[in-house]
Amino acid sequence: MKSVLGSVIACIAIDTNLFAAEAGMPQLDPTYWASQAFWLILVFVILYISISKFYLPKIKSNLVNRENKISKDLEDANDLKEKSDSKIKEYEIILENAKREVSKIHFESKNNLDKNIQLKKEEMEKEIEKEILKAQKEISDLKKSSISSIQNISKNIASDIIQNISGDKLNESSIKAAVEEISKKNINRYL
Amino acid sequence: MASNPMEQFTVYRIGPEIKIAGIDLSFTNASLFMVISASIVLLFLFLGSKEKKIIPNKIQLISEMFYKFVAKMISDTAGPKAKPYFPFIFSLFMFVLFCNMVGMLPYSFTVTSHIIVTLILALFIFVAVTVIGFIKHGFKYLSIFVPSGVPAVLLPLITIIEIISYLSRPVSLSVRLFANMMAGHTMLKVFGGFVVSLGILGGWLPLSFSVALTGLEILVAFLQAYVFAILTCIYLNDALNLHH
Repeated sequence: MKSVLGSVIACIAIDTNLFAAEAGMPQLDPTYWASQAFWLILVFVILYISISKFYLPKIKSNLVNRENKISKDLEDANDLKEKSDSKIKEYEIILENAKREVSKIHFESKNNLDKNIQLKKEEMEKEIEKEILKAQKEISDLKKSSISSIQNISKNIASDIIQNISGDKLNESSIKAAVEEISKKNINRYL
Repeated sequence: MASNPMEQFTVYRIGPEIKIAGIDLSFTNASLFMVISASIVLLFLFLGSKEKKIIPNKIQLISEMFYKFVAKMISDTAGPKAKPYFPFIFSLFMFVLFCNMVGMLPYSFTVTSHIIVTLILALFIFVAVTVIGFIKHGFKYLSIFVPSGVPAVLLPLITIIEIISYLSRPVSLSVRLFANMMAGHTMLKVFGGFVVSLGILGGWLPLSFSVALTGLEILVAFLQAYVFAILTCIYLNDALNLHH
């Protein structure tokens, strides 16, 4: 098919004048063939040179630039993401440490406080005991002193009573001995 | 308006007659439209590559799309070896495309509707591809005519057919483009003539045909430029990679 068409065209090309006139195809009129060929080659060569020398390299560099920029941006984004991930990890570690520290401090201070309270409590107890002992001693002292003064008073009272009743003045030492005897007998009831 | 639908293809001289060694090289309307098409291509690429923006504007985007389109076409059909020929194929595609598209404007001239223009392009491609084939492969390039896996009985016949088909490449390449462009424009003109002759009452039908055909012709204009470029890539692939 192609070759047949080719031979037809070849025939047409050889016998152009006649055929062109009959068919009325201006394409087959060879008057300006040379001119068309010349201008086509001239224009196309200029077009080719300016495209290949100026425009294609420009467009290409532009495309390459863009691709580089995009891949660089993607890389940067990945880097930043990794950085932020590691920062988050660091932050989490710090947070974890801080929490541990806090619980440690909490524990320690609680212990200290407990110890302190215990210490204070013991001290207080000791003090209280001391005070109690002191008070007891005072009380017993007081009791003892009160016994002697009671004996004194009771001797006086006894001698007065005896004097009043009998009119006799009794020997003081015998009264004293009697009072002491009685008080000794009964003292345990009051102590 | 011209009544002859073929009259639109007439080439006439513009300006003075230029004769060099007895050959008429005058500037014609065909030359004018070649210059216009090439200028539009250059202007377009100039605007498209002027601002090197990371985010392209519209014209830059379109020129980059053309670049990627042609680059993909070449790498798909001819592989990475065809990279040095990218500027040529790109220029060829852009030139043919813009000649076709400029030809779609009313009262313009379609450069590619002339057999001499397409034939020169096709012959150049044919010669260049053959030369590249012989440079790359030496006489082994002739094995392109002997396909492998063919029974010995059929081999002479197949070889003859292969040689004929190889030699008819420039003809088929040029006639395809020329005939498509010529036929489309002639048809448009014929339907345009019908509109005029049928008048306001009957002219609507051919007018609507004309509108539809214009759309079709724009498609054909693009398609033929694409076909022209991709066939060049395929021929180049044969010359560069030599496998059957």
